[in-house]
Amino acid sequence: MNSVPTSSLTPRSPSAAPTIPVPPARVALVGNPNTGKTTLFNALTGLRQRVGNFAGVTVERVEGSYRAADGRSVAVLDLPGTYSLATASPDERIAHDVLMRRSGDGWIPDVVVVVVDATHLERNLFLVSQVLELGLPVVVALNQADAAERSGTRIDVPELSFALGVPVVPTVATRGEGLEPLRRAIDDAVRLPPPGRRFALPAAVAMAVAPLELQLQEHGLSRAEAQLEALRLLSIDATETGAYDGAVERARDALRAANEEPGQIEASLRYAWISQIVTRCVSSAERPSHATSDRIDGVVLHRVIGPMIFLALMALVFQALFTWATPLQDALEALVARVGDVVTATLPAGDLRSLLVDGVIAGVGSVVVFLPQIAILFTCIGVLEDSGYMARAALLMDRVMRRVGLHGRSFIPMLSGYACAVPAIMATRTIGEPKDRLATIMVVPLMSCSARLPVYTLLIGAFIPATMLFGSVSLQSLTLLAMYLLGTLAALAAAAVFKRTLLKGPVRPMILELPPYRWPSPRALLVTVAQRCRLFLRRAGTVILALSIVLWALATWPRLPVDPARSDAAQRELALEHSALGRIGRAIEPAVAPLGFDWKIGVSIAASFAAREVFVSTMGTIYGVGGDDGDTAKLTTVLRAERRADGTPVYSLPVALSLLVFYVFALMCMSTIAITVREAGGGAVGWRWAALQFGYMLALAWGAAFVTYRVAMVLSGGTNA
Amino acid sequence: MATDTVPLFAQPNTVRPAADAAGMRACCLAACAAGSRATVVRLGCDDSDACRLRALGLNEGTTVAVVDDRHGTLLDVRGTRLALGTALTERITVQPHV
Ligand SMILES: Nc1nc2c(ncn2[C@@H]2O[C@H](COP(=O)(O)OP(=O)(O)OP(=O)(O)O)[C@@H](O)[C@H]2O)c(=O)[nH]1
Ligand SMILES: [Mg+2]
Repeated sequence: MNSVPTSSLTPRSPSAAPTIPVPPARVALVGNPNTGKTTLFNALTGLRQRVGNFAGVTVERVEGSYRAADGRSVAVLDLPGTYSLATASPDERIAHDVLMRRSGDGWIPDVVVVVVDATHLERNLFLVSQVLELGLPVVVALNQADAAERSGTRIDVPELSFALGVPVVPTVATRGEGLEPLRRAIDDAVRLPPPGRRFALPAAVAMAVAPLELQLQEHGLSRAEAQLEALRLLSIDATETGAYDGAVERARDALRAANEEPGQIEASLRYAWISQIVTRCVSSAERPSHATSDRIDGVVLHRVIGPMIFLALMALVFQALFTWATPLQDALEALVARVGDVVTATLPAGDLRSLLVDGVIAGVGSVVVFLPQIAILFTCIGVLEDSGYMARAALLMDRVMRRVGLHGRSFIPMLSGYACAVPAIMATRTIGEPKDRLATIMVVPLMSCSARLPVYTLLIGAFIPATMLFGSVSLQSLTLLAMYLLGTLAALAAAAVFKRTLLKGPVRPMILELPPYRWPSPRALLVTVAQRCRLFLRRAGTVILALSIVLWALATWPRLPVDPARSDAAQRELALEHSALGRIGRAIEPAVAPLGFDWKIGVSIAASFAAREVFVSTMGTIYGVGGDDGDTAKLTTVLRAERRADGTPVYSLPVALSLLVFYVFALMCMSTIAITVREAGGGAVGWRWAALQFGYMLALAWGAAFVTYRVAMVLSGGTNA
Repeated sequence: MATDTVPLFAQPNTVRPAADAAGMRACCLAACAAGSRATVVRLGCDDSDACRLRALGLNEGTTVAVVDDRHGTLLDVRGTRLALGTALTERITVQPHV
């Protein structure tokens, strides 16, 4: 059907207009990025969606609900931020689809709440002016009223409400202020006359666009909608006007004939109208709200000092991971050992005891002890996200990123990858250019995520000496920093390769808004970190628990008859090799032997393709089953003591380094693969990209580990084992 | 472009009045140093980039202040801080204020 508008408002069925307003059941939160929509959503619904001080935190729609005064349940939709209804990266399109009644599931809001940042009112009113013309009931939430007040900005709320023709409610979402008036305004909004355009087009413009508006109305749009859509079609890229190509081109010609530049008409008209409102309603700031931020940026964005601050911040994080976490980790390890001892003492020797002690406690316990590291990592990431530093890091990296073929904006999803690749890949929705977005998706999993942390910490803790360099930085934390840098550099290099081969395309110029710096709220931080820790423990209690049990079973059966001639230790070792796991390990061994790994490491790697932490739990289980009965020594101690048949240590420094490097590069995460399939286009296309991603990362991991092992062997003067 | 013409009777010794914009040549935004102010004359970039810039408040006729020019250009646009890459600022024509 050619005549159906593809990129515009979906026609409303003529019979749908109700005459008696029913109380609203569905409310959509829209607004510019970083205005506090999600904070407001959380305050309204009691949910805990992610919040952060940079544009593009929310990239998908999330539904929640609250109870209205009369007990009715009102559904609330939190949406990604958008600057206007005309521009569209994938995340913005989600918001547009809901507003323009095009969302797949037919979710149509009864009331639209436009969340406005009171400190940047002028720019925010641009989207407001567009939303007013949709014909839906609108309430403006004048959020961050506290910040506006602090900077000395006075906004005349009744006057603003009068000028816009819709209710305006000041709110402070972070403190939950203004929620009751907002809920009342939402209920009342359906009874008010529908809002609409509050300015008139100049006669020449009106004449030029009239035929286009008429054609839009013929396709079922209301008059108001047609007026909005006509301006939108004129302002967007000429190649995207779709079904109305001819009419739009004629309107453009008519405008040019009248000496008007078609592309700039919408913005000029709206901002002219907005200027009047701002003059009338805002008494300007005594202290500009950005003064402090600008002063901080003077240092943070310095050409030399800026990157150094960035590196120093990272080094500080890793130092914290080792020095602060160690006492807590020791305490947890002691606790796990204690539980193991109690179970050993109370249960009779046998399979059940072995399952609990060697399988469950050794497996899950070895992962759970890394909880302090996870908490510290997410606290640090949280501070970075909430302070406003993320956008600065992106700006600092723009020069590097441009050489790679991406722009600085792509660095924000990459930084999120330090937490977890799944939300990071979702965050690429903020990148408008499809090729840039795909290139970013392909390299994000190279950024070391929190699931690698237990593996890194285990190996570094066991094999890198805790020597202090320069008096204060430990060699261990430097090694950890090196692993993160290695992953980051590899991600940049891989992006450069993708952008020059499969995803060739011009470098898009950067457009990035820098939010003012803010003090991270300790309460919000605590909530996020607690949420992350719960998630980590839940993984330990589900995926890792299940795998630990499976691996224990594989390591226990089939049994070898006891040979009294052999020593206990030799008997256990033989039994382990005779077990199903041992046989699998022997089959894998040739593939990993060039990297310096024995079959036990090979099996642990294979198992960790389900989830990286499983490497640690598998190690725990293997050495639990193979170790002394009821022995619950620290895993690091066990690893250090492990010997080959010829008495040389299994884990020499080259082996440990090779393993570390392998984990930097290998993609071992089912969830990442699933999300890549979906975000890279879904279906066969998505699977192809996911397969490529998995393949190239595995090849990189193997190759880099091989080189590391060989080089380290030569440097350490060792012989090939 | 009309704004590009050099005044025929430029007199090097006379002090230009501050408001006399015609006395300054239009230039690209990338050429504006930190601390200077300028009014946008033309967005010569891609239509889609121009559309986004206008939504962000950087439309023709807007006066902007250059806050920082160390990493691309950091602008004060209607009270917000907007960082633009050089590829963009080179194609934005502005009229610098004296
Ligand atoms: N001072 C102040 N800060 C606020 C207020 N509401 C939100 N914030 C802060 O503003 C920042 C952005 O909040 P979010 O809720 O993530 O904003 P958002 O609109 O959902 O952002 P996107 O999802 O990126 O579009 C966070 O740092 C919040 O803490 C408020 O009322 N006052
Ligand atoms: Mg949000």
